[in-house]
Amino acid sequence: MEIIEEKRGPLSTFKLQGRLDSNTSQAFEKRIFDAMSDGTKNVVIDFKDLDYISSAGLRVILKATKALKREDGKIRLCAMQDYVKEVFEIAGFDSFLTIVPTLDDALKSM
Amino acid sequence: MTLQTNVSFELKNSLSELPTLCEKLERIGAALEIPRRLLFEINLALDELFTNIISYGYADQSEHVIRVRFSSEDDMLTVVLEDDGIPFNPVERLPPDPPCSLEECKVGGLGIHLVKNLMDDVVYSRSGNKNVLTLKKTIEKN
Repeated sequence: MEIIEEKRGPLSTFKLQGRLDSNTSQAFEKRIFDAMSDGTKNVVIDFKDLDYISSAGLRVILKATKALKREDGKIRLCAMQDYVKEVFEIAGFDSFLTIVPTLDDALKSM
Repeated sequence: MTLQTNVSFELKNSLSELPTLCEKLERIGAALEIPRRLLFEINLALDELFTNIISYGYADQSEHVIRVRFSSEDDMLTVVLEDDGIPFNPVERLPPDPPCSLEECKVGGLGIHLVKNLMDDVVYSRSGNKNVLTLKKTIEKN
């Protein structure tokens, strides 16, 4: 999996490419928490080029969401393929996460 | 006329086999003309079960083999997952209660919850020294 990170002040945007599973989720978790140690308060995750997610990936998103909330930060997820979005819905994660159609929508809502 | 296909492969009990699982599924998906969305769902279900088996299934550090068998008859796809780990029935585990709030949300059992929701039927049996999980899913061709 490729992770492209852009940081602007307290906002970090992560663009994910490939597969977020048991093999790759730890690297992604480290990137988010490193960014938070480095002053990131708000996070946008761009799913446009993500082909696959498993519960290991959901676990990282949940952990990051809880950590950001403790710091009064925000998290937005965007541009999911419909079958990736279905995984969030089955897991019930769409009830507490803001999932928007495009990266623009996510950035505007910050 | 009934169209029947059977294909099987083996995986070792290591997370490094996840890409192999994905590659095998791509090939089987092409051969059996499984639509992409369904292939994604099957990949996810097998990933969750496989990851569970190698994380909790073995009391020793030895190499084990997990066998995956695909068969399709008309529009019904059957996948059988067989491992020689400790007896474990993932189907009887209580599911979490999504949708949940952020505070209440726990990740334990999430993988199995996904499997049960993505597949039409999940049946566990213990056969000799093997756990046998049978998944069924209707193939809806577009």
